[in-house]
Formats: sequence, C-alpha cells, structure tokens
Amino acid sequence: MPYRANMMVCAGTGCVSNHSLELKQALEEEIQKRGLTDEVQVVPTGCNGFCGAGPIVVVQPDGIFYQLLKVKDIPYLVEEHLLKGRPVPRLMYVPPEEKTPIPKMNDIGFFKGQMLVALRNRGMIDPENIDDYIARDGYRSLAKVLTTMTPDEVIGVIKASGLRGRGGGGFPTGIKWESCKKAEGDIKYVICNADEGDPGAFMDRSIIEGDPHSVLEGMAIGAYAIGVSQGYIYVRIEYPLAIQRFRIALKQARDYGLLGDNIFGTGFSFDVDIRRGAGAFVCGESTALMASVEGRPGEPRAKYIHTVEHGLWNRPTCLNNVETWATVPVIILRGVEWFTSIGTGDVSQNPWGGSKGTKVFSLAGKINNTGLVEVPMGITLREMIYDVGGGIPKGRKFKAVQTGGPSGGFLPTELLDLQVDYEQLTEAGSMMGSGGMVVMDEDNCMVDMAKYFLTFTQDESCGKCTPCREGTLQMLEILKRICEGKGVPEDIQLLEDLSHFVIDASLCALGGSAPNPVLTSLRYFRDEYITHIRDKKCPAHICRDLNVYTIDPELCLVKGHGCGVCRRQCPDSAIVGEKNQVHNIDQELCKKCGVCLDVCKFDAVKVA
Amino acid sequence: MIKVTIDGRDIEVKEETTILNAARELGIKIPTLCYSEFLEPYAVCRICLCEVVRGKRSRLVTACNYPLRDASVSILTNSARVRNLRKLNLELLLAQAPAAKIVQDLAAEYGVTKTRFPIKNPDEKCILCGLCVQVCENLVGAGAIGFSSRGSKREVSTPWGVEPETCILCGACAHFCPTGHIVMTEEADERILHSELTLGPNAAISIPFRQAIPNVPRIDVEHCIHFKTGGCELCSKVCPKDCIDYQMKDEIEDIDVGAIVVATGFQDFDPTPLKQYGYGKYANVLSSIEFEQMNNAASPTGGAIVLENGEEPRSVAILHCIGSRDENNHKYCSRVCCMYALKFAHLIKEKTTAEVYQLYIDMRAFGKGYEEFYHRLLEEGVNVIRGKGAEIAPIGGKFGEEGLLVRCEDTLISKFREIPVDMVVLCTALEARDDSADLARKLNISKGADGWFIEAHPKLAPVSTTTDGVFLAGVCQGPKDIPDAVAQGTAAAGQAMKLMTVGELFLDAAYAAITDEICSGCRICNGLCPYNAISFLEDKKVSEVNAAMCKACGTCAAACPSGAITARHFTDDQIYAQIEAIFA
Ligand SMILES: Cc1cc2nc3c(=O)[nH]c(=O)nc-3n(C[C@H](O)[C@H](O)[C@H](O)COP(=O)(O)OP(=O)(O)OC[C@H]3O[C@@H](n4cnc5c(N)ncnc54)[C@H](O)[C@@H]3O)c2cc1C
Ligand SMILES: Cc1cc2nc3c(=O)[nH]c(=O)nc-3n(C[C@H](O)[C@H](O)[C@H](O)COP(=O)(O)O)c2cc1C
Ligand code: SF4
Ligand code: SF4
Ligand code: FES
Repeated sequence: MPYRANMMVCAGTGCVSNHSLELKQALEEEIQKRGLTDEVQVVPTGCNGFCGAGPIVVVQPDGIFYQLLKVKDIPYLVEEHLLKGRPVPRLMYVPPEEKTPIPKMNDIGFFKGQMLVALRNRGMIDPENIDDYIARDGYRSLAKVLTTMTPDEVIGVIKASGLRGRGGGGFPTGIKWESCKKAEGDIKYVICNADEGDPGAFMDRSIIEGDPHSVLEGMAIGAYAIGVSQGYIYVRIEYPLAIQRFRIALKQARDYGLLGDNIFGTGFSFDVDIRRGAGAFVCGESTALMASVEGRPGEPRAKYIHTVEHGLWNRPTCLNNVETWATVPVIILRGVEWFTSIGTGDVSQNPWGGSKGTKVFSLAGKINNTGLVEVPMGITLREMIYDVGGGIPKGRKFKAVQTGGPSGGFLPTELLDLQVDYEQLTEAGSMMGSGGMVVMDEDNCMVDMAKYFLTFTQDESCGKCTPCREGTLQMLEILKRICEGKGVPEDIQLLEDLSHFVIDASLCALGGSAPNPVLTSLRYFRDEYITHIRDKKCPAHICRDLNVYTIDPELCLVKGHGCGVCRRQCPDSAIVGEKNQVHNIDQELCKKCGVCLDVCKFDAVKVA
Repeated sequence: MIKVTIDGRDIEVKEETTILNAARELGIKIPTLCYSEFLEPYAVCRICLCEVVRGKRSRLVTACNYPLRDASVSILTNSARVRNLRKLNLELLLAQAPAAKIVQDLAAEYGVTKTRFPIKNPDEKCILCGLCVQVCENLVGAGAIGFSSRGSKREVSTPWGVEPETCILCGACAHFCPTGHIVMTEEADERILHSELTLGPNAAISIPFRQAIPNVPRIDVEHCIHFKTGGCELCSKVCPKDCIDYQMKDEIEDIDVGAIVVATGFQDFDPTPLKQYGYGKYANVLSSIEFEQMNNAASPTGGAIVLENGEEPRSVAILHCIGSRDENNHKYCSRVCCMYALKFAHLIKEKTTAEVYQLYIDMRAFGKGYEEFYHRLLEEGVNVIRGKGAEIAPIGGKFGEEGLLVRCEDTLISKFREIPVDMVVLCTALEARDDSADLARKLNISKGADGWFIEAHPKLAPVSTTTDGVFLAGVCQGPKDIPDAVAQGTAAAGQAMKLMTVGELFLDAAYAAITDEICSGCRICNGLCPYNAISFLEDKKVSEVNAAMCKACGTCAAACPSGAITARHFTDDQIYAQIEAIFA
C-alpha cells in the first residue's frame, strides 16, 4: 500500500552529527501517537548535500524542504503538515538577505542549478534497501547490458558518451576500459577508488552512503565490458558508514543474484570485495592504491607501464573513481545522445574533445551554501558561486576560488566566467581534480592560502622521490619566511623555479600538482607576494607577524572611555593605560596575537 | 629493433631498452643516484631525467626506467632544461644530505658548489635512494630494512628500530649504499686471531687461492646469501656463460685403484702453548707459515712485509727450532727450518730496510749450495746469534703494539741478550698430521713414534710400505725439503707405474684358502690377519681370503678353530710329507 507522505530524513554524516537520528525517532514516535503509521512513512536517506542547513527533512512527494530542525519542532510539524495539511513556513529555508521562505526543495537556489546524475537517488531512497534502488530503475542497465549488448558495444557507448574519470585525471573512461580489455591476461580486475583523501571533500562518501548500489551496478557493467570477474572497492578506514553501507549492499545484491555466479542466467559472474585503506592521501594514487591492496606500503611506483596492463598483482586492472562508476548505469539507460547533450565541447571524434555530463563538487570556504552539489559541466564559476552557492557571506568581495582539491590552483575574479571543463581549468593553472571547490574572499591572504594548501600536500608526500619530498619542503620554508616578513626579492623566482621543478620531476601526480596553488597565486596575485616581501605587509592582515596593532586614541577615549579590556586580555602585557585614559600598545612587547583587536568593542584597535 | 636519436646520434636498440642503457651503449653518461643494474629501477632520485622529444612535444622522463618503444623519438640527455632541473635537484640534495660525497661530486660536476636552502643536518649522508632497501628485499630476500615515516621525515630503518632477526649480516646494503650512510663494522676483539691474517674481505664466491686446481671460483655456502634466503643470485645474473649451479653438492666418490701413493705431508706445530713466545697474544708474533703466506704475492698484503698496523717493520727476529729439537715437544730436527729461515732473512732484506736477527741452535746448511747461501746472507748483513730464543716480552702496550723484546742467551759470547724488534717469526716444527694414525690403519701401513710413516726398508725399499701397492712420498715419511720430497715423489710414482704398466699382478703361489663347507663363519681369522686380507661374505656367511693381499704368513690357518683354512703349499699333508722325506 503506498503511503500518503514520505518523510525523507537526511541520514548523511553531516545531518547525523546534527542529531538527525534522534529527529527520526521523534518523528516515528509522534506519527505513531497520532495514528498515522499506515499513512506516513519515515525514510532515512543519504546526504542531501546541503549540510549547512541540516538536519534536513523533505516531505515527498510534494518536495517540501524543512531545515535546521530540532526535536522540539516535531510535534508541531506533524500536527500542522501531516494532520492539517499546512506546511510550516518557519521551518523552511530562507535565502540569505531575504525574508520569504521557499517551501519547495527544487525552488531553492542551491538545488535549482543542480542536475543529478551520479546523485540521482539523493534523498529519494533508503540506501540500505535494495528495493528502493530497484524501484528507481536500479540494475536495469546491468540487465540491459548483460542480455542485449556485447562487451564491445558497452565500451562503444561509454567511449561515445565522452565520460571522463571523475577522480582527478579526467582520463576517458571508455578508452581505459578498452585498453584493459585488450591487455593480455586471463585474470583482470576492476577497482573502485573510494579513498577520497582531499581534505573537506565528501563527494564519494555521499554517493556510497546514499546510493551504494549505483557504484556496484557501474562496476558490474564495467566488469562485463572488460571481462573481469573480481572487483575491489578501496575505501578509507575513516569512512565506517560507507563501509557498512557497502557491506549491506553487497549482501543484498548477492541475495538477489545481481552479484555472484551466473548473473541473470547469462553465464557472467562477478563479485566484489572491500579493502580498507589506512587513509594516506597518496594511497588514492592508482599505483599506490594497488600496492596497498596487495599489502605493500602504499607508495606510488615509477613505471612507464600502465596499470591497465600491469596493475594489481601485475594483472590488467581498471581503476575508476566512485563517481565515474556511479555515472555509468545512467549513460547506459539514457543513452549517449542525452549524456553528450550536457557539457562542453564535441566528443564525437575524440574523447578529449570536451567535458560531458555532470560533476559533483563540494562547496566550501567563504560561501553561503556550503555543501555538495552536482552541476552540468560547462557551468561557469560565477553560476556555481553565486547561483548555486548563494554568493559570499556578509556581502564581502570575492577574491579567488580554488578548484580540484588541495593541489588545485586559485582562480581570480577575472576568470569567474570560465566554464567548468577539464581543459579550461587546466589551462588556467588549476584542475577539475576530484571536485573540491574552496571560495576565498577579500579577507583571505593568498600567500597564506598557498602556504596552507602546500602544508597539506607537503605533509602528505610519501617522501619516495626527491623533488616532491625536498622540493615541497623548501617551498614551504620560503612561504613561511615570506609570511613572517623575512622574504627576500629572489624568493619569488626561486619559488617559481622550485614549483616547475617539482611538477616536472616528481614521480607521481601528488608532486606533479602540489605546487599549483603556489604557481597560480604567483600568477594572479603576485602583488600580494611583493607587498609581503618589499613592504613587509599583509594586505589582508592574516599574516600576523606583519601586522602592526595600534589604538586610535580618539575612539578609545571618546567611545570606550579607556575601558581597559584590551589591557587585561593582552597575554603579553603589552598594553598600557590608566582606567578612563587612552591606552597604548608597546610595540616592543606586542607578540601580534591580535587579541586586543577581537576584544575591543569600540573598534579602537587598528591593524595595519 | 628500433632506431632512436640520443643527443643527435642515431642508435638502433631492441624495443623496451631503457634510455639509460641505450645511452650507455653510445658512451653517453647520464647521472644516476638510485639506479643499480642488478635491481628493478626504483626511479626516485630523478637525477637521470631526460627530455623525450616527439615532433614538437617534449616530455621529461627518467632515463633509468623509460623504455624505448617508439622509433620517431629523439632524446636529449643534457639539454639546458635538463641541466637546470638537475642543478636544482642537486641543490636540494646538498641541503638534505650535505655529507654525501657522491652528491657533492656530482653537484661540482654541474657547477653547484653551495645550496641556497637551509641545511637540516650537516652530517646527514642518506639520500633515500632506496638501494639498500631494494637490495635487502629483492636481491637478498631478507627484507630486514625498510623506510619509516613519510615525506621529509622518511628514513631508512629496521622495523620498529630494533635489530631485525631477518638480517643475515650479509652487508649487501652497505655494499650498495652509494653514500656511505650504511657501513659494516666489526666489534674490536681482544685477541688477534692469526688465522684471519690471511683472510681479507672476500666475496662469498671466489677462486680460493691463485694456484687452486681447478682454477675456478667456488661458492662459500656458509656466507652465500642465496643459501641463506634463496635470494640474490647476483653471480648467475652476471655470469655470461651460465656457469653458476646452485644445486651442485659435495660428493663422495668411490674410485677403484691398483696403487696408492701416500703424500699427505705434515702439519704445522702450534706454538700457542709455548706461552713464553706470546704467539696469539702479541700482534706481531707470526708463525713461519703465516710469514710465508704474507710474502706470497697473492696475500692480502700483496706480498709486502708489514706489521699489524700496516707499517713496515724496522727489525725482525727469526727464532729457530720452535717445537723441534725440544725434549718437551719434538726431539727430531725438522730439517727445513734453517734454510727457510735464511730465505726469510733474504726476503726481508730484499723487501724492507729492516734489521734481521737469526736465533739458532745449530745452523744446518747441509744440502747442495746451502752453505754458500748461508755465507751470502752473512754478507747481506743478517745478524746471526747462536742461542735459542727464550722469551718474548712487549715493549709497550699490552699486545706489543709498540715493539717486542726478544730475550736469549748468546752462547758464542756467553751473554744474556735482549733484542728490541718489531716483528718475530717463529720457525715452527713440521709434525705428523693428527690424522696420520687413522690413515695408517686404513692403509695398513706403519708409523713411528714421532708419527711419520715407516718405509718398507730405509735403503732397499725407501718408498714402499709393508702393504703392496701403497707407496710413500714427501714429508709424511719424515721431514724433508722440496727437492727431496719431489725426488721421493718421483720414485713413488715410478713404483706405482711399474704396477700399472704390467696391468696384472703376479701372485705368490703360496697363500691361505678357506674351505666354505668347513668354515663356521666365526670370523676369528678376520681380525687376526696382519695384512687385512680376510673379509666376511655376508651372503654366504663364510670368510674369504683375498689372494692378492695374503702374504701366506699362516696366522689365520693356525688360529682357525674349525680347521677350515689351509695355507696353500703348506698343507698339513705337504708338511708331513716333507718331514717324512727328511727322515726317510
Ligand atoms: C714455513 C716453511 C717454509 C718452507 N720453505 C721451503 C723452501 O723454501 N724450500 C723448500 O725446499 N722447502 C721448504 N719448506 C718445506 C716444504 O714445505 C716441504 O718440503 C713440502 O711442502 C713437502 O711437500 P709434501 O708434498 O710432502 O707435503 P705437503 O706440502 O704438506 O702436502 C701434503 C698435501 O696433502 C694433503 N693431504 C693431507 N692428508 C690428506 C688426505 N688424507 N687425503 C688427501 N690429501 C691429504 C694436504 O692437504 C697437503 O695439500 C718449507 C716449510 C715450511 C713450514
Ligand atoms: C596523490 C593522488 C591522490 C589521489 N586520490 C584519489 C582519490 O582519493 N580518489 C580517486 O578516485 N582518485 C584519486 N586519485 C586519482 C587516481 O590516481 C586515479 O587517476 C583515479 O582514481 C582513476 O579513476 P577515474 O579515471 O575514474 O578518475 C589520486 C591521484 C593522486 C596523484
Ligand atoms: S611525487 Fe611525492 S607522493 Fe609522489 S612518489 Fe614522489 S614523494 Fe611520493
Ligand atoms: S642508506 Fe644509502 S642506500 Fe640506503 S637509502 Fe640512504 S643513501 Fe640510499
Ligand atoms: S637513477 Fe633514475 S631516478 Fe634515480
């Protein structure tokens, strides 16, 4: 019996940590109390992507979106919406700097600009229930492939679709499958790369937690096309829920005969095992990942032989990213024409000719709508940031956006109309990467940001090859020096030389991309470096060592009446002044911690 | 085969040849730090980067592992771009491992003498090239060392920093380490082990000594890595003729022969128990055979006469009759010592400027030209002192490192003397081998009280023994020098050949015979036969006489309780007949 209403409670990691599971329990209790159990169903779903608004409940089929819910809101919500049929405006989303709430999910800017392919079942299904997945066309593509298509036809479709790897490299998936199929060897493998080491990225985790079967179905289709009977999923150990969801999904798929021997009676057999990764960033790199699966140290290996020929245990291996695998079933079902209608360029001749389909991004940093979004390729950065992302908080000015994770480049205001496309991003000095997107505003110092991201990559370098190990270390030293006001003019050239050296000479793509933030900040924000080095000033006042704190005597006296808060709070006793008198900062003693600036209620402390 | 261009020069190579190997064929040097031809390229130092140019596109690759597959490429191993990258790489390495000489040298080659980057640790040598880890893991197969920590904290270490049980102390890591970060040290031992004097560091595969027969290398299985871990096999990788056979085993072979020449020689008298000479305690007290070996051009010193500290001695004392002509040891004269002692003196005079002292009881220079040699040495300025060396004491240092004092009584001037020297050579006695009794029993030959084998007759049969077909040659029969040993050997060979040329044996008609039907199988006769001629036939359960070995002594016949043995030509009937004839 169908339900009158479905209460889709977001059970993604973000909402769960905001107590959405308690919310779910309260909802169930309340629904029972009101005798609605037969009419209303509560469904836990995967992440909706709009984590900043969590915990989220969406009432389907109407698509009414409730945000920032608390357990105490539940009785009222059930009574008003479910009993009396009156949606509750005060629990709905209100765009920043506006007053009118938006009731429907799809009318909210964050969702409106999105196009869900990999995330097609987002918020619509219970990820632990295979029937939900099947009800939304799940495993239809696998059935179609196994019963009506030859492996070559499948590869043909994927090639024609122009699908490119979503894990970072953007390598055409169909070509990878084809070479793996052609490679010599009886035993071959497919692997799903769910290592997701980029800090702050959670695209892959969301897909797995929200819709694990989409990945399994994609892998099965790939396995059939390539001629593989064993697959592995490499998940980082910090994703226990993802591992759990995969376990459940695997069991259900096996029980339904969708994995295992002789699937659909076609003679095709395929099964998948889970391998847990220790969580080093470099383990996401294909050769390091395979070494780790084999039980060796997760370090990249230097070979000019491709893993599609000599991969896991030296056998032909096809490695694809979670999102890549999850996209495959949709392409099979909806066809090449549909897929290629989305995105940029022309891939009919050459799969490198454009960027097709959609891409999931995680929006973070100085942006109103932080969270996970799936957008069509070719969307401009401006649309991403202002329409989907809802713009910069507190009306501040946009300064730069970093795309592609910690080794992506910084793109400035002038490039806001750049299309999100593999080639255009690379040309601008950044990359598609795995889909990180960090927005920076006028309060960010670009030297500091470059230092911040290089600190991460330097720390994550495996240390195997000299350029990455020693090069990034010395680059970081120079950046630290500049931020401390000890930079010299030659440092800029040296940084540039080192960046190119590390990119050109490193063994794997970690070193090959780590200098991007430095290079792009030098390219688009060079004057900030010069100010740091020549004037010993940080325009954004982020590099504390370069700041000079002073007290405006007039404001201190007239507005603050020499309240003395700053004097009491200064940890280094650098502020002198009598009560009701003008206060002063002793520059000799000041350690530039900035506490005075934060505590002065009268804006009398100035930083320069 | 494909044709490529390297630095403008064409070369044809097999597909999959690496750039490095192709360049080497052309004599073009590409620097490497982490490469060894015996290991899979690890490709981490990145110093070997080269440009691969295809049409207008140029790409940087590591020469050590980039396989050439494409004919239309040209490679630049030393372009400006490549040189600049290498310079920066070396500058970074100079900051990371400033003490690595290989880096300093290479950097100097590229004109990089100092680094712009801060130096972490001025004593650091390790460049993290990974050769040690690779060799231990993949060649040796021990896997005792690895890398710990990541990024700039990476270092070579053993698991958990403790001495790993899997380490077989082969030293391969130290051998492959290009920077000297890993070295092998030996714990200083109180005693200087003299047997080690002749042993330099040796590979586990080597020709045992120069004149070895056959003159081919053999594997020392006790130290060979392969026999410990199953890994390595480096020697078989480098042998161009596929000669290495790890399956080869020691074999015991039975050889049927008709004659045996015993030439087992002697062993050196061990002077250690004669505490007064300090052998084994003082570094520079050598036995004669050690000194002889030191003088060999194939010795670890290359034939040079040196002290333990590597310096040339200023004076050497040679002490005669150590263990010979000695009531407590061997009463006999070893015969060769006087002359070889003079030979030593001559060698010392020839090779060094040292003073030489000979301490003798009597100078026995009896052979052809020997007396003359003695006089020649006196002219060379060798000091001869009649008097047996009594004691050796250290001058300074517990182990005589700073010199030795030789005490003796100079009987010609009836004075007690103390002679300071740097080195002492003890002319140790020749003595019968420890296993000579064993051998005598096996061959049924006899030996004297002093252990030397006894010939059948000193004048009439000097190389024969009491056992037919067994002959003696050389020192095993008694001390003698090489000319005498060779003469005796030639004679023994002649005797053996005499047997062989005839090809068959003429037996004495008289020998003992056992009648199977009567023999009870008691075996009493087996042990009694002085010539080992009787053996027991297990299948028939009776004893049997080997007619060729039987000397017809009649012992067995007399002892047989069943009367199963008759001495042919001496049967009871024949003896009775003879007695009867005498009295008839
Ligand atoms: C320090 C020193 C210096 C000398 N210098 C001189 C010199 O300058 N000129 C000179 O003429 N003489 C010299 N001699 C004497 C010379 O060494 C001997 O005369 C000579 O070695 C005797 O030769 P040999 O064949 O009888 O015995 P060895 O040389 O002792 O040879 C015997 C061989 O038989 C082997 N053997 C032993 N038992 C068995 C067995 N059971 N089965 C198989 N093989 C066995 C031994 O391993 C050995 O190789 C010197 C001796 C010494 C100690
Ligand atoms: C340092 C480094 C980290 C990487 N991390 C990931 C990762 O976490 N997830 C991922 O899918 N790909 C990652 N990659 C990219 C993979 O090497 C590989 O290209 C990708 O998984 C292939 O799948 P795709 O073709 O579907 O993108 C990483 C690459 C590098 C160099
Ligand atoms: S580039 Fe960095 S991460 Fe990659 S192998 Fe070299 S040291 Fe390791
Ligand atoms: S110890 Fe020597 S061989 Fe080992 S990594 Fe360091 S430099 Fe290389
Ligand atoms: S020698 Fe090629 S990378 Fe080290």
